[in-house]
Amino acid sequence: MRDILRGTLDLLILRVLALEPMHGWGISERIEWMSGEVFTVNQGSLYPALQRLLRKGWVSSRWNRTEENRRARYYEMTPAGRRQLQEEETRWAETSAAVNRVLRLTEEKS
Amino acid sequence: MRGILHRMKAVLMRRSWERDVSEELRFHLEMETRKLMQEGLSEAEAHREAKIRLGGEELMLERAREERGTAFWDRTLQDLRFGGRVLLRAPVFTVVAVLTLALGIGGTVALFSVVQGLLLRPLPVEEEDQVVTFWFDYSWRGSEFDFARTRLPAFESVAAYSNIGLTLHTDQESLRIPTTVASAELFDVLGARPLLGQTFRAGDDRPGAERVIILSYAVWQQQYGGDPDIIGKRVLAGGEPTTVLGVMPREFYFPTPNMKAWMPLDLDPASSQYRNNGWLVLVGRVGKDVTEAQLQANLRSLGTELGENWDYPEQWDKSRNPFVTPLRTYLVGDLRPILAVLLGAVGMILVMACVNVAALLLVRSADRIGEMSLRTALGAGRGRLARQVLTESLLLGLLAGGVGVSLAWTSFDVLVASLPLTMGLEEVLSLDWTVLVTGLVLALASGSLIALVPIRRLLRGELAEAGLVRRSQGGVTGRGKLHASLVVSEVLLSVVLASGAALLIRTVDRIRNVEVGLDPVGVLAVDVSLPPGSMSAQERAQYFDVLVERTRSLPGVSVVGLINRLPVRDGGWQGSVRVEDRPELDGALRPNAYWRAVTPDAFEALGVELVEGRGFESTDRGDAPQVAVVNETFARRMWGEESPLGRRIGAGNGNTNGWAEVVGVVRNVAVDDLVGEVPMARYFPWDQGNRGVEYAVMVLKTGLYPTSLTSVVRNLVREVDSRATVGRVETMSSVLDQAMAEPLRLRFFLGLFSILGIVLGTVGVYGIVSFGVQRRRSEMGIRLALGAEPFWLLREVVGGGMIPVLLGVGGGLVVSLLTTTLLAGFLYGVEPTDPVSLGAAGLALLSAGGLATLIPASRAARIHPATALRGE
Repeated sequence: MRDILRGTLDLLILRVLALEPMHGWGISERIEWMSGEVFTVNQGSLYPALQRLLRKGWVSSRWNRTEENRRARYYEMTPAGRRQLQEEETRWAETSAAVNRVLRLTEEKS
Repeated sequence: MRGILHRMKAVLMRRSWERDVSEELRFHLEMETRKLMQEGLSEAEAHREAKIRLGGEELMLERAREERGTAFWDRTLQDLRFGGRVLLRAPVFTVVAVLTLALGIGGTVALFSVVQGLLLRPLPVEEEDQVVTFWFDYSWRGSEFDFARTRLPAFESVAAYSNIGLTLHTDQESLRIPTTVASAELFDVLGARPLLGQTFRAGDDRPGAERVIILSYAVWQQQYGGDPDIIGKRVLAGGEPTTVLGVMPREFYFPTPNMKAWMPLDLDPASSQYRNNGWLVLVGRVGKDVTEAQLQANLRSLGTELGENWDYPEQWDKSRNPFVTPLRTYLVGDLRPILAVLLGAVGMILVMACVNVAALLLVRSADRIGEMSLRTALGAGRGRLARQVLTESLLLGLLAGGVGVSLAWTSFDVLVASLPLTMGLEEVLSLDWTVLVTGLVLALASGSLIALVPIRRLLRGELAEAGLVRRSQGGVTGRGKLHASLVVSEVLLSVVLASGAALLIRTVDRIRNVEVGLDPVGVLAVDVSLPPGSMSAQERAQYFDVLVERTRSLPGVSVVGLINRLPVRDGGWQGSVRVEDRPELDGALRPNAYWRAVTPDAFEALGVELVEGRGFESTDRGDAPQVAVVNETFARRMWGEESPLGRRIGAGNGNTNGWAEVVGVVRNVAVDDLVGEVPMARYFPWDQGNRGVEYAVMVLKTGLYPTSLTSVVRNLVREVDSRATVGRVETMSSVLDQAMAEPLRLRFFLGLFSILGIVLGTVGVYGIVSFGVQRRRSEMGIRLALGAEPFWLLREVVGGGMIPVLLGVGGGLVVSLLTTTLLAGFLYGVEPTDPVSLGAAGLALLSAGGLATLIPASRAARIHPATALRGE
């Protein structure tokens, strides 16, 4: 498993939260599972990243009960976060497409 | 906006936030552990693995805090709280540091306010740079002014003024107010507008014009209760009905703040005063587009023309070197060096205070090595520690700033009263909000300055390492150099301050020993003036006769005399003298001499000794032969070794053509300055030319405390005639003290500063040397254990400590030699390079420095090897 690419953690968190509100541990599990266990979330950076998103107003948080009736802090996407996710996704698509084009180009040449 | 709100909320809710994050992390750990246990790990292993995956909680909190965007404020709050606790834990250190700094900051703030008030705040004059005074003040005649003003194309307008004392009679009282008499253009030159009414109109200064007066705001308020209908009313000024033309705004003053009213000059070409009396100051507004060269050319041609039309005695030759002086320089120029010296001295105190507190911090930082290294071990970076040190120093600085500003605030009036300010300049000085700004700036600056030293050490990692490898502390390395430079700078500044103080102390001693020429003990001087309009000359003459007679009969009063100007205080009117047997000294070469009129008893009352011949008798009356008494300078310059008795000089104040026979010679009496050679002076009998005048200084000698007679005499003056006015009532001793005031007060301040400097320097040297000894305790302990002689250790420490002290003394002496020339203007009988003063200062610091190193050195020599090795 690899560490998540720098700068993409925010995008992945938003993606997970787009589905449903989730607590921190759940977010890290989801990311690993959704990426087909390619990525492992460095748990040390997860919580700082969540604080960053809170500060930017892209997510909100509240305390809630888990299915096992355990108190946990749930993060939820805000409308601003949704817009941000769309932007990030578009940019990601463009970036990765561009990177792919370049990679293919080099392969063809060589 | 949203971000700021979020942050503010976050800072305020920090505690609950941290609780949330901790709980969140606990939940995460629990879930992760459970997951790992499901994967087959034991509970303990799973817990451990989960923790590793999550990372240290402290670090996580720290990083989360950073992401939260409140880290800066969180840390500052934390640092402040921590710093506050640290300072409280060492109250003595804190109090000493805060007070030291507060003295420096308070002094600098207060003096800076004075500088600002006197030198930086604009004068109440429009475009003050354009307003200038002309060379030779109080020497222009009305006729010269009229001649000059038509020949000054480089100026928009030119005015002449002089200051007089004016008696103002209101319903309740009559009082003397200092008044400026000026030509009609004065307010145009100044560009000043009245608060009420108007300023002078063209022609107000010409004969036959209506008698008008412009009141200052203070007089309008105090004497006329702020009467809004005052304009056009008639008041009794100088004994004559005078129309109030205007009232000036509160902030206006000219030429100095003690002048309370303005009246037009009477420029009457027919009067002898217009032609003969040089008593005016010329002030002009330079035209807007006039270049420096044009101005100079204009002044030069004016000088030439003046020379063609008037004969000037050499010392007042207006045709030579004409120049103009900016108004501000003319008014407060001579205060600049004093303020510069004081501000410089207090600035040095502030720097020394900073160095001292830095040294104290260093010493303390040695105590705090343990704490610092613990914090490093817990993951605090050097930057973080540096921040903490900076916060602590800034906290100290701010505390000191607060104390300092309140010190300045409460002692400002005392400071202003101790400055050699004259002419009411103290009235324009006040503290305002800028003090807070200056205080804050100084507090932050000194806080940062203080932090520099420990932070430099921190950044080199010395403190942190020191904790871990405490024993390996070496001897003299770069660190030693830093400490040495602190010692050098402290000692250097102390020497500079001390040598300045020593020079002034010697100056005051010299002045004290100057022969003043009179005996001030038990002498009271009373200014008495009579209204010229409502009393005839006859009545006035009688008035003074009665007043002197009745004062003499007061119990305790032995001798009473009258004199036209009080020696030392009033200066006087100088005029040219004719000397019968020196015809070669006639015309422009006539010598100048002060002119004094005295009653027969005045010499005795003032204690002026007769050297030769006789004084005046009651028979030297108007109808008797004219006689004169001269002072020693006069006798020596005019007749050398020969006796002046029987020779004749021009009689009276020089306006008559008669001769007066010299009947006596008296000791030289200082005229207005205690130092320097006493100029020529001649005395005439009161009754031969001064009878019937409006103003006299009554001098009386008593065996009592002279001030105990003040109110009796005041009442007596009004009792003899209620139209009479009492001006100043002073003892001769206080007059002499005031004449000495400038060097005395400077000496007081510089003395205070240098004592402070020496104390600060000694404490600083002591602190730094003890710090060095403390760091080398174990090394010294080992050496003692290995058999080193305590004496050698003592020598080593004293030697090491004294090298920077010696360097500081040397440097201080060099700097003193370069800077004491700034003091030259305040010195008398002492050269700025006076070796005695400089030597004393150097010696004082050398011994203080020696003492400061000896104490920690002897402590080092007494170290018990066992304690040193075992202990910290």
